[in-house]
Amino acid sequence: MLPSSLNNVSAKTDPGETKPLTILIWIIAGFGAYWFLPWFALEYGLFDATIEEYLASLGWKTRTLTLTVPVFLALFIPIAWSNIPQKRLGWVYTLYTSAGIGLIFFDFIHTQNSMGFSAAVVVMALAAIFAIGISKIGFQRGDSFISGAVVFVIFMVLVFIFYPVTKIFYQVLVSRDGSFAPFQFFRIITSFGVDRVVFNTLFLAISVGATTTLFGLIFALYAVRATTRLRYAVRVLYILPIITPPFVVGMSLILLFGRAGLVNDTLMFLFGNSGFFIPAGAEGIFERSGYIYGFTGIFLAQTLSLTPVSYMLLSGMISTVNPSMEEASLTMRASRWLTLRNVTLPLIRPGIANAFLLGMISSAADFGNPLVLGGEYDVLSTEIYFSIAGAQLDFGKASALGLILLFLSLIVFVIQKKWVGQTSYVTVTGIQTAGNVTPLPKGMQRLFTVFISVWLVLVGALYLSIFLGGFVKQWGADYTLTIAHHRELWMHGVSSGGWPSLKNSLGYSFIAAPFTTMIGVLIAYIITRKQFWGRGFIDFGTVLIFAIPGTVIGVAYILAFNTPPVELTGTAIILIITMAIRAMPVGIRGGMSALSQISTSLEEASLLQRAGSLKTIRSVLLPILRPTIISSMAYSFIRSMTTVSAVIFLATAGTNVATTYILSRVESGDTGVAVAYGSVLIFTMLCFTLLVQVFAGRSRIEKQVKTK
Amino acid sequence: MDKTDSIKITLKDVSKHFGAVKALDEINIQFAPGTMTTLLGPSGCGKTTLLRLISGLEIATSGEIWFGGENVTDLSATRRDVGMVFQSYALFPHMTVERNVGYGLGVLKVDPSEITERVQQALKMVNLDGYQKRYPDELSGGQQQRVAVARAMVLKPKVLLFDEPLSNIDSKLRRSMREDIRKLQKSSGITSIYVTHDQAEALAVSDEVIVINEGKIEQQGPPKSLYHLPKTAFVANFIGESNVVDATLEKDGSGKSVIIGDTCIPLPENKKVPADIGPIQISLRPEMVQIKAESSSGTAIEGVISQSAYMGPVIEYSIETKVGNLFTRAPAHHKQYQLNQKVYLHIEPAELIVIPAPA
Repeated sequence: MLPSSLNNVSAKTDPGETKPLTILIWIIAGFGAYWFLPWFALEYGLFDATIEEYLASLGWKTRTLTLTVPVFLALFIPIAWSNIPQKRLGWVYTLYTSAGIGLIFFDFIHTQNSMGFSAAVVVMALAAIFAIGISKIGFQRGDSFISGAVVFVIFMVLVFIFYPVTKIFYQVLVSRDGSFAPFQFFRIITSFGVDRVVFNTLFLAISVGATTTLFGLIFALYAVRATTRLRYAVRVLYILPIITPPFVVGMSLILLFGRAGLVNDTLMFLFGNSGFFIPAGAEGIFERSGYIYGFTGIFLAQTLSLTPVSYMLLSGMISTVNPSMEEASLTMRASRWLTLRNVTLPLIRPGIANAFLLGMISSAADFGNPLVLGGEYDVLSTEIYFSIAGAQLDFGKASALGLILLFLSLIVFVIQKKWVGQTSYVTVTGIQTAGNVTPLPKGMQRLFTVFISVWLVLVGALYLSIFLGGFVKQWGADYTLTIAHHRELWMHGVSSGGWPSLKNSLGYSFIAAPFTTMIGVLIAYIITRKQFWGRGFIDFGTVLIFAIPGTVIGVAYILAFNTPPVELTGTAIILIITMAIRAMPVGIRGGMSALSQISTSLEEASLLQRAGSLKTIRSVLLPILRPTIISSMAYSFIRSMTTVSAVIFLATAGTNVATTYILSRVESGDTGVAVAYGSVLIFTMLCFTLLVQVFAGRSRIEKQVKTK
Repeated sequence: MDKTDSIKITLKDVSKHFGAVKALDEINIQFAPGTMTTLLGPSGCGKTTLLRLISGLEIATSGEIWFGGENVTDLSATRRDVGMVFQSYALFPHMTVERNVGYGLGVLKVDPSEITERVQQALKMVNLDGYQKRYPDELSGGQQQRVAVARAMVLKPKVLLFDEPLSNIDSKLRRSMREDIRKLQKSSGITSIYVTHDQAEALAVSDEVIVINEGKIEQQGPPKSLYHLPKTAFVANFIGESNVVDATLEKDGSGKSVIIGDTCIPLPENKKVPADIGPIQISLRPEMVQIKAESSSGTAIEGVISQSAYMGPVIEYSIETKVGNLFTRAPAHHKQYQLNQKVYLHIEPAELIVIPAPA
């Protein structure tokens, strides 16, 4: 039946094998970069440099070790075309490139110069040949693409996670004269009231964790189980925290409850000194007060902005509870209330614990709300910022506080991962039955309806106040409608007002989003699909990426990338990298959940059809992952647009982004301008989210994979 | 019909360890050229691991794997020239049937017009010509599996592997599917290995059956010999139905006889039995045991009916005897026995399956 010509098909193609030509391409790339791009970093960046500066930075213009680079690179060519057996050739590549990379770094550190573009390209080329080398030795069973991916990911984690974090340790544990001082950490933290800051942070985190979990549970039960129309309103609530920059909720709270807020105004109007209605003997008991600043305000702001996150987590969990278990309980004479208490809630207990711990981490890591509302209430994240931002410039203190914050969130994260993440009662049956869900007990539903109505009104008022705040002259003093704030931001040409920061935000996020999604999905692929020596390193790096608070990243990057050999502060690159790192959990999480739904036999089938791993990823995995990749990219983009904690440390006058610009206006007292910008940002993000949801609706592929 | 030059597959001392777990322990097998061999065993016995070692998707901890004269131990799956049919079919959901089957040809850079032609031939082979433009989710389970078979065979691999290919197909279709697979395998002459936990499927499709238990080969042989001459109680129990009872082999004048409880059954002289007398095990298959109301000779086992179940053409009986509860069946149109009725179980001495006592 099969034609005899098919026998010829078994042509020996070796997809994993790298030909000398591949080496040559990398060498040419390194060579070209060496001759034409700056070997040393330019003081003012590539595009602002004068021609003299540019020429001076070229590697071959200087009489140092860098002159050996072309010779070093050229030596690869005879090696690649020689007849050395593959395995030995692998060793030659591996050792030779390691020596090269080591030498380059040594030279830069030794001479206190910063790396330029061509040095980066040469290191990258050497790293690529290194990956080819170890694959020839047998790493990843000779698969040079996967080897390269692993080397790349490890390199990224090393340079942009581990190296900065060690810099924090270095700052804390090594004294100014360079000697090792293990007790310096204690000296730093006892020099001010660290116990109070830590206590404040923990107290806030636990309160917010508990409250958001309880409220999230109420929302989730209501959204999944209630029979009222209001439940549909709850279901779209999740979108708000995604599109809202973290500190905007805090700002709107000030508009409502601040010293000159609406509530205070109303109270003053009714009961104040010259008030409308003064009960006898109660003259002057109502005064304008700043009760919103401090714990109350931060707590309220974080509860409002984090409850939807907890709701998302818990509603997902509740909707996977098998209804037949509850029906079994009902048939045994248990009431709906008893069933809820004895069956449903215990089943989602891991989800509840998860929501609590996540709430804690998010609260401790939150920077924007404490900054706006903190007042006298110091928490770690703001204290870190003030140690560097103000006149203090105390890197030791910032690093010590950063370490404490990092350890707190690492501990909570590891507890969540190891203890809660493993146990799930809900998925035990694995069968999604289409039974009817048990409705909420009547009284409970009524209570929840009231609660949620109040909540929605409050949230509505907050967002309305942000929107309106941009259109009144001076909130609290003069409520005359005006477009002056918006005019100041948008009508004075594209090089002033809000435009430069908005352009930066959009541009950086636009570059960071695909980049972070690609690496995130790659990490997810390596974690879910590959076993090899050294994988624990990537696992740990991933944990750090997930757990590290933005302020800690900010401090670490300032410490790490302000000096040779890698000097990036003040550049757009560092902001893009920061945004990418901050958004990376999105891609990793999305990739992991999508990959866990794709049977490995699809990839195996492709391998057995003679396809190499690159072809398999391109033709099989990527098309199936496309919906995930698109939504991860969109979400990463939004996250990059709204992030503030890390970028505030790194943004400069030239690289200001939308969030840092808004915060700077808040600090200088221009609330009107700040909320005007904030409302535009929220509106833009909302449109973008809706657009993405319309265009990346469930495709046929997603549907098919999900049913498997 | 043209046949490939069928190759022999040899496994030499192949072991696979997952950490401390020995999934497979020093396996030695030869698969004869052009045959279909079934790896049969309970789930978790290592049969799928063995298949994956042969495919190259898993790499052996130690030992060698040879395809004909070529040592493929260190070759990755991509380079081994193996076709495989997966339990889950593993059809690419985002590709049409045509692109699924032609995927490997595309990888090998075959001319597009030729791909179309070969895909059509492969689909004809599995009676699915005309389905080229369909997506996998528009096909039934059986059709999807046939596409998977076409895809595995279109490259004419040296080795064809089937990993429980029929377990997701409903039982009525299964019979015709396994006949189709067997027919295709025979006509192509590709050395094939078939993993299943269904003993009936194993007996029906294969030239040879290898029974695997706990990472070790229990027995290898043609289906008939495994059924009639199981070497271990495990094989006797796993293939077909069987009552395995303890017995003793004794010298009886010039010949030997088997003592089951207090019944002595003399064996015919030409029956192959272990040389040493002593404890052995006997496998009594239901079809060798005849129930009678009275004993016609001294070689019947006495018992009492403890349970009966009407199954349509036959009635299944459980009979309580001195050597334990024995299970057999009798045609329903015969005399029916009552619960607690005393009966005699007659066994033809020549049919007795003697299993040497485990060492």
